[in-house]
Amino acid sequence: MIRYALRYLNLMVLTLLVLSVVSFALAYWFPGDPLTNLSGIQEATPQTERFLAEKYATEHNLFVQYWHYMQLVFSGDWGVSFSSGLPLYDEITLALPATLELCAYAFLLSLIVGIPLGFIAGLKHYTGTDYTVLSLSVFSYSIPAFWLALILILIFCLQLGWLPLSGRINLLFDVPHQTGFIVIDILLSDIQNKSAALNDAFRHLVLPTISIALINTAITVRLARRSIIDVMSKGYIIAARSRGLTNNQILWKHGVRNTLLPILPLIAAQITTLITNAMVIETIFSWPGIGNWLIQAIYQRDYPAIRAGMLAVSSFVVILTVSIELITRLLDPTRDKNERGTI
Amino acid sequence: MARFNLYDEEFFPSPWQHTWRTFKQSHIAMTGLILLIFFSLTAVIGPFLAPYDPVEQNTNSLLVPPAWFDSGTIAHLFGTDAVGRDMLSRVIYGCQVTFGISILLVIIAMIVGVSLGAVAGMTKGVRSSILNHLLDSLMAIPTLLIAIVIVAMLGTGLVNSMWAITLALIPQFVHGTRDFVRDEMKKEYVLAARLDGAGKSFLFFQSILPNMIELLVVQATFALSTALLDITALGFLGLGAQPPLPELGVMLSAGLEVAYIAPWNLAIPGICIFLMVLAVNLVGDGLRSAVRKRMSS
Amino acid sequence: MNNPFYLLNYPLERLRQHAVIAGLALFTLGCGNQHTTDINQAGVIYCSEGSPLHFNPQLDTSGTTSDATSHQIYDRLLDYDVESGRIVPGLASSWLISEDGLTYTFQLRKQVSFHSTDYFSPSRYFNADDVLFSINRWRLEDHPYHQVSDAQYPYFMSLGLPESIKSVEKINGYRVEITLYQPDSSFLANLATDFAVMLSEEYANMLMQSGTPELLDSQPIGTGPFVFQEFRKDRFIRYKRHGEYWKGIDSAEHLIFDITPSSSLRLAKLMTGECDAIALPAQSELEIIRQRPDMQLEEKPGLNIGFWAFNTLKPPFDNPAVRRALAMAIDKNTLLEAVYFGSASRAKTLVPAASWAYQVDAQDTAYNPVLARNLLDAHGVEPGFEMNLWAMPVERAYNPNATKMAELIQQYLSEIDVQANIVSYDWTSFRQRLAEGHHDSVLIGWSADNGDPDNFYRPLLTCAAIESGTNRAMWCSPEYDDIINQALKVTDIETRKAIYAQANQLLSEQLPLVPIAHALRYQAHRSELNGLVINPFGATRFAGVRKMQ
Repeated sequence: MIRYALRYLNLMVLTLLVLSVVSFALAYWFPGDPLTNLSGIQEATPQTERFLAEKYATEHNLFVQYWHYMQLVFSGDWGVSFSSGLPLYDEITLALPATLELCAYAFLLSLIVGIPLGFIAGLKHYTGTDYTVLSLSVFSYSIPAFWLALILILIFCLQLGWLPLSGRINLLFDVPHQTGFIVIDILLSDIQNKSAALNDAFRHLVLPTISIALINTAITVRLARRSIIDVMSKGYIIAARSRGLTNNQILWKHGVRNTLLPILPLIAAQITTLITNAMVIETIFSWPGIGNWLIQAIYQRDYPAIRAGMLAVSSFVVILTVSIELITRLLDPTRDKNERGTI
Repeated sequence: MARFNLYDEEFFPSPWQHTWRTFKQSHIAMTGLILLIFFSLTAVIGPFLAPYDPVEQNTNSLLVPPAWFDSGTIAHLFGTDAVGRDMLSRVIYGCQVTFGISILLVIIAMIVGVSLGAVAGMTKGVRSSILNHLLDSLMAIPTLLIAIVIVAMLGTGLVNSMWAITLALIPQFVHGTRDFVRDEMKKEYVLAARLDGAGKSFLFFQSILPNMIELLVVQATFALSTALLDITALGFLGLGAQPPLPELGVMLSAGLEVAYIAPWNLAIPGICIFLMVLAVNLVGDGLRSAVRKRMSS
Repeated sequence: MNNPFYLLNYPLERLRQHAVIAGLALFTLGCGNQHTTDINQAGVIYCSEGSPLHFNPQLDTSGTTSDATSHQIYDRLLDYDVESGRIVPGLASSWLISEDGLTYTFQLRKQVSFHSTDYFSPSRYFNADDVLFSINRWRLEDHPYHQVSDAQYPYFMSLGLPESIKSVEKINGYRVEITLYQPDSSFLANLATDFAVMLSEEYANMLMQSGTPELLDSQPIGTGPFVFQEFRKDRFIRYKRHGEYWKGIDSAEHLIFDITPSSSLRLAKLMTGECDAIALPAQSELEIIRQRPDMQLEEKPGLNIGFWAFNTLKPPFDNPAVRRALAMAIDKNTLLEAVYFGSASRAKTLVPAASWAYQVDAQDTAYNPVLARNLLDAHGVEPGFEMNLWAMPVERAYNPNATKMAELIQQYLSEIDVQANIVSYDWTSFRQRLAEGHHDSVLIGWSADNGDPDNFYRPLLTCAAIESGTNRAMWCSPEYDDIINQALKVTDIETRKAIYAQANQLLSEQLPLVPIAHALRYQAHRSELNGLVINPFGATRFAGVRKMQ
């Protein structure tokens, strides 16, 4: 147990180290002056420049500079944005939760829809139902998510006028920022019309969530289907059947757990796909998340923002994936460490 | 005709033939293959068929609807865009750009990934383990993020976005190759070759690689669908190919401007991307289940 | 088109059967609108096209900045009447001009209160000290606030106003006297522009004392109908009603600027009701708005011009003949159709027909590529000559799609064997590099800030305007400057018209820029929105705009 945990911790630290070095190096690789790219302060007066040079130790060698950089990163001083002049730490902590919220709902949706559908298809495999579900899933994950989002907007927002198409909530609701998760923030806030605000927030969530969830749902369906087919042909299922258990009993007693355990890590690994899609979809729905923020940053050549954003997002993703690996390993120690599932 | 066979000669299909036979039985997979061939042909000979120059603007026919609309004309089968460029020609060239480049990227990524994976799979010890794990974690970083960083360093452009996508595609090849090589190294035929004194590179190219081709083809099809989606997404976001280059993602983002008055500008490139990815996925799926069936039979 | 729809419905259907609705109930919660009506009723959302650079229009001439500030947060001494274009009282209730046209005396309005916010509570009403502070800030280089926020005061500088004002004196608490060196028939018009806003001297002093003077331009205090609440760059600006607004106009309780750079997205949001009004509807989309019963489109001839300016400091563009050749290579009528979709008139001179200085018989360049090529040959510009063509990255009324226009011009130029490379940056760096003169030629334009023709001729092409960054051609001609100055010394309109005709003549010979189009100005809003009118003389006004039930 502890050995595993240590190993994963080790791996995580190593990867984060690489990422932090890359992010530091980006200040040098990006066009322009490294000091400006680190601090985000353009056209500094000679006085500020001296102060910054000392802060980032640019007089010293790269190792010392990196050391100073890391100290600043850990103290939450990530520099300021070129375009807004605001501290990057504040901007990122504002944007990242918005993305996570969207991803969380999309992930949930993909599980709630994907696993039962996969089970149905798998239990009736090589029947019409199975083929329908399977072809639907191939269709679903061949649709470019950003195109789907546009089509959904055309139908549900512009033609039918049912749902809003941009942002997280009608801006007339002045929800104070607390956790960054809009639904939680509304519940915590003391604004009037709380239920109206919640309703509005949900209406804003529907389309982006569906657009992001579709691909993951398709993958989840296939994983669940494959897995339950494998499990149901195992000896212990046949044994159970010969003991006279009904299909339902077999499914609930043996099937579900044994089916889900091996695919959990695979489903969890899809979170990266989810985040990538979320970042693209955000720009279409003007969702104020990290993807939208980063893409705006690249349009405006906001190098400090890209440097800090890259570090924040990639660290987050790495920590998330390694933690998921660790947790699933702890849940299911029998898993071969090189085993990879197929869909 | 009347040839008489005294002995019941048994025909042994090669693994490839075997897979192909199973593959052929699936109508869906065959549809995918036909579509794929169609797109490949379009990419290769399309430019000779395209009725217009894809970047030539014609201010006399702006936003002409496709031919099946009442106000459409047969001169522009798929209509025209906001500056009067013929959509059909643009889509044909778009297939060439998007599809052609995706294939190129997959080949590059495959070569690099397989070489790295082979090295990783045949070496042992701490170094290999660190390399593997690092690769695993870095693989988790979204393509979009890599693309953003590269574009920030080198500027926007098709070539720069190609770098990003290739980088993002490589890890899965490394992974697949490494795991495969590792498993094969334990098998008897490899052991036999090693006892014969085969060197590492001989071993890889002569013994392992031929067995891996199928796996690679399956992997390549999935890499291809990823590449197609990534290249169009980056084009759509304005981080990849730049207008007026007829890249399907770029066309989509231009279509967005006139989405309401000219929905075909949005629909046609989108359907094109969708069909391409679908074709690739269907073929990939068909191949994989064919291989699986052969293995289990 | 049906496919995704079908696909999505399918899993939902199945799910219902298997009774896993619980989780989805959240997502299907919301198709009813009735809960949100009350809060919708109280507020107005305006989808604007970009983020303001500052919250003080003295510092920036862009329409985006003045839309977000001039008439919302601030007031001016004088205002334009939107309908007649006449100058009407603002914070100055009346004024007197001396016989020699040099001294202006303003009587100020009493009991005008400044905004009270969580960062400032005013202790006194608006008075003459505020006027002195607001004008002296841009007028006097040694004013303590002059350098704050690296301010350039482009509007005032491009007109040379600081040099033309001799003194600004406080007669008493509510009377101010301004003396000029020379008579200037456009002076009152300048004080009524979006940029001549009145700031709070008390707030400025407080900020100076606490050592954060630059907050004056980012956390604004004014006397206007709306109080600034919050700004998130590229996302939104939040205002609330100023309860003690001196005009006593009944405005919406909340005003939101939802910053939406893409015009198609703005239109989409207008359709879904996420915006109540939108800035700059795209020309290609006007027809849709006209056809929908739930939307209204207002249009007025605009005081603006879209043009193609050459950097006259760079050879070969310093040669008028080369400029003429390039001007002849393009067909303006096609540009008008393809870029403005016919919602603009062809520009011959700098001023549009809406201005009294419009000259009907002015000369225009004609499309003639053959002659253009010959002219280029005669002046040593070889076939294959490469030049860059900067296209501004934002939409403006005077040029709704500069990139598209650039692509068209690129084609025209290739017909005369000139290769044009299209260049674009984000808006901030674009203007910065433009002011530094890195361009060969640029597609840009100008929206007038007041009804006076001087507001076209002076900021666009005088020598002083190079310094202040509005002279995109970098063109400086003493002869032209003389003519323009001459026009201000007389008050008789017919005489002034004749003088501007001379300027037109000079410009059509020199062609530092090619006038392309004067666009109509449009504003679209939901039908239930009441009171929003186009202000042809400047920025949008939201005072008195309300939703009807």
